[in-house]
Amino acid sequence: MANSERDEATGMQTTGHEWDGLRELDTPLPRWWLIVFYASIVAAVIYWVLMPAWPLGNGYTRGVLNWSDRRNVAAEVQALQSARAPMFARLADASAAGIAADPELQQFAIAAGQSAFGDNCATCHGAGGGGAPGFPVLADNVWIWGGTLADIEQTIRVGIRSSHPDARLSQMPAFGRDGLLSPRQIGDATEYVISISMARARLTPDMAAAARGAAVYQEQCASCHGVEGAGDRRIGAPSLKDDLWLYGGSRAEIRRQIEQGRGGVMPSWEARFDAGTLRSLAYYVHEMGGGEPDATPTPPTPPQ
Amino acid sequence: MSKTTLIDTTGRDDLSIDASAVNSKEARALYKKRAQIHPKLAHGTFRNLKWAAMAVLLAIYYITPWLRWDRGDGRPDQAVLIDFEGRRFYFFFIELWPQEVYFFAGLLILAAFGIFLSSALFGRVWCGYACPQTVWTDLYIHVERWIEGDRNERMRLEKAPMSASKVGKKLAKHTLWLLIAAATGGAWVFYFGDAPTLFHDIFSGQASTPAYLFIGLLTFTTYILAGSMREQVCTYMCPWPRIQAAMIDKDALSVTYRPDRGEPRGPHKKGESWEGRGDCIDCRQCVAVCPQGIDIRDGDQLECINCALCVDACDEVMRKVGRPTGLIAYDSYANLERRKQGRGTSYRLLRPRTILYGTLMTAIAALLAYGLATRSDFELNVIRDRSPPYVRLADGSVRNDYVFKVINMSALERRVSIEVSGLQGARLHATGITGGGPVVIGARADGVTTLRLHVTVPPGIEAGTHALRFTARDLSRGDETGSASAFLAGANP
Amino acid sequence: MWSFHKWFERHSLILLIGILVVVSIGGLVQITPLFFIESTIERVEGVRPYTPLELAGRQIYIREGCYTCHSQMIRPLRDEVERYGHYSLAAESMYDHPFQWGSKRTGPDLARVGGRYSDEWHRAHLEDPRSMVPGSIMPPYRFLARAELDVSRMQDHLRVNRMLRVPYTDVQQANAVIDARAQAEPNGDAAYDFEQRYPGAVVRDFDGDPSRVTEMDALIAYLQMLGAGVDFSTYQAEAPENQR
Repeated sequence: MANSERDEATGMQTTGHEWDGLRELDTPLPRWWLIVFYASIVAAVIYWVLMPAWPLGNGYTRGVLNWSDRRNVAAEVQALQSARAPMFARLADASAAGIAADPELQQFAIAAGQSAFGDNCATCHGAGGGGAPGFPVLADNVWIWGGTLADIEQTIRVGIRSSHPDARLSQMPAFGRDGLLSPRQIGDATEYVISISMARARLTPDMAAAARGAAVYQEQCASCHGVEGAGDRRIGAPSLKDDLWLYGGSRAEIRRQIEQGRGGVMPSWEARFDAGTLRSLAYYVHEMGGGEPDATPTPPTPPQ
Repeated sequence: MSKTTLIDTTGRDDLSIDASAVNSKEARALYKKRAQIHPKLAHGTFRNLKWAAMAVLLAIYYITPWLRWDRGDGRPDQAVLIDFEGRRFYFFFIELWPQEVYFFAGLLILAAFGIFLSSALFGRVWCGYACPQTVWTDLYIHVERWIEGDRNERMRLEKAPMSASKVGKKLAKHTLWLLIAAATGGAWVFYFGDAPTLFHDIFSGQASTPAYLFIGLLTFTTYILAGSMREQVCTYMCPWPRIQAAMIDKDALSVTYRPDRGEPRGPHKKGESWEGRGDCIDCRQCVAVCPQGIDIRDGDQLECINCALCVDACDEVMRKVGRPTGLIAYDSYANLERRKQGRGTSYRLLRPRTILYGTLMTAIAALLAYGLATRSDFELNVIRDRSPPYVRLADGSVRNDYVFKVINMSALERRVSIEVSGLQGARLHATGITGGGPVVIGARADGVTTLRLHVTVPPGIEAGTHALRFTARDLSRGDETGSASAFLAGANP
Repeated sequence: MWSFHKWFERHSLILLIGILVVVSIGGLVQITPLFFIESTIERVEGVRPYTPLELAGRQIYIREGCYTCHSQMIRPLRDEVERYGHYSLAAESMYDHPFQWGSKRTGPDLARVGGRYSDEWHRAHLEDPRSMVPGSIMPPYRFLARAELDVSRMQDHLRVNRMLRVPYTDVQQANAVIDARAQAEPNGDAAYDFEQRYPGAVVRDFDGDPSRVTEMDALIAYLQMLGAGVDFSTYQAEAPENQR
């Protein structure tokens, strides 16, 4: 410090730096600060030794601890899987009734299912399975492809109109868009569908049009939706007798569905979930309130 | 009062001491390094009271976790236990669950009013006798005195050059301090686990990491706070001295130097007349014994913890010089004023403030006791699923879903029947069950049984919120509990 | 000592250059090795350059500032892997210029959103997020479905990406405009040629409006391929060379 001098007012040494007559006091750093500073340097050196640190050519120093995020996460996921394995094994050959009879297993299945549902399914089907227009309500007791534990699991596994080879497939024709029916015929069919559904109480169908629509229905729709409109789960044809509508229950929406034959896509989740998670998820959906007992056979299609 | 004044001791009562109040306003400049205080041992009523308080409080702290209380099979037999893992708090015959923390809130309120009341009556008795900081500091000072001697020897040792004897004394002192600190931290964790088991585990290295962590932490804080921080904790860290100013009034007792009697102060030679002068002989014994490093004669100060050791010191001197004791005593501002006006000393313990505190404390204590005596060991909590708010079913009926928590605090399992009432046609059922009627479940002993059930109401229910009630009845014991809830129905699509 | 110090302290330009040199050393030490260390330049099967439509979707993603709320990087942490799927590999971003990593998530990570939801869901969600996710704070992007996709600069986009070492061929670059439209027109004449040029890419009408190719088509096409390239059922995460 060439120009270092003592400051009169404070008795402190200056740094010797001078700016337009202003000089800087050379106040020492607080001791605690220095201690932290030197400790940080020591910690850094220890870190270099223990952890991956210095780049070398096409690699880097691995460190004594041989730390690897990828290996750690693999081990953690593995540990998670082994922790779940015993419960998953019990789930693998349990029926809905069997799970319900085992409180521990039930609690596990619902917890595992709920977490997977929240991360993956709730975005479309709503938290708690409340659904959205075009995305079925899962909490009710209406099922397009079946509501037993096995049915639900199969649907989650292969998806609907997905890219999975065994995907559940159904395709309603777009009677209006593709010109299969005239607008008048579609109007008649709409009235007929309303008249056989429970929506008749609130939408008051035009009975004359409905009578004309009956013929259109039997010719075009009955092969899938059934003579009485009860639907057929084996081919994913929904029942038309209730008052629950996937794309909305107004007259306009019912008509639009006949015109356009909309059908949604559900991805296959087989690749994303292991078997235990799939079963838990299915059980969670089953237990939302509309799940059907295993033993009940699917309702027979009415004779044609 | 300056530090450099050498007091001439020749011909004086052999009582004076060269003591300066290191924490007096004059002595403590900003940025000044803290001066070590070497309190002298006092003898007398209040010192004895402090010994007794210390013995009792330390005994409570160290012995409580070892008390046993039989609660039957499979339940902990520790009288006082905070069981975080099992989520229970045991206190002799009381067992509290997490949702009953309001009892703790009540206790805390009671404690707060207790300290208000004691402050209004006797000033800072908490600080002076019961505060852990005071108790442990006192204990540490005692250890220090035992090893290094009393005030003068300690001061000499401080100034003495490093020697084997000095190192040995310091080493012995710090070792003892650390042992006490470790025992303090160690006793703390016993409140959170079975003490005998934990004791064994700690020494065999099998205790949990948090246990060692907390022992370490509390060992460290005890050692630092009672060993080296001492009065600085009260002066700088504790908020109470600031609050205290609002809690005491002119009638509250606090350790007070009576200037009306003591002034004018000055050295007094044996046989000299006491006419025309105060009783204070300026012997500085009150300063020498003060653990806070102040001079009580400067008046009421934030640093003063009202430990009354100066009272003991002064009384001893007064007896020796043949003057009445009580030059420094528990007294009130009101009395200082009264004596100025020539009126006598009087103590007003019953004042609106103290009566109010007392009444509030009695009321809260009564409320807590009532709550404890009448609390049920059987409860039903119902949480309605909010998403989706309601579900319309194929036949037009409407369903709401509920999560039930059946809380059974008794030691026996219960057979519980849950029913719904208050809503026409409402049917309580499990998933996939078409029938209605009460749902019967087993509610495990000393635990919560959770289940999800549905309520379905036939078509035609009006849109809006409907009230309903769930009742849980113990089928064998007959006692029942209930919970009100709501049923939501929406308009048609 | 002071005279040397003074030289720096009293000349702003010299000080500036000095700062630049010091900071560059720190930066270079950190950055340069990443061009050579194996785990950051590994190649993984299944990662392909974006198709023109996907690239256009990516430009829209960047234009609309989606990255301010959504990251595209699943960190190697157990809970993230549980929620989003396999952690992101460096190779999965090898054709990203610029990359869309990040750790600030207002919305969920999108690194593996491809194939998770249906096109219909994406359309409904982009048009009105709250109709699908009630508590969502994402703004609506209705205009994307109305805006015709501007493909006029598609060749330039591919050319710039080639300059950045994305391996587009001359044929791909020449047909960029045709391909951008072809991917959203499954019944169009160019669909077959497109599939030949971009094996593995999906031809589909993404926005539910077959009559036009909109920005919505492009964005959904981009979202639906995110993270879907690498087949993790065959990717050997446990192999020693993948555990670096």
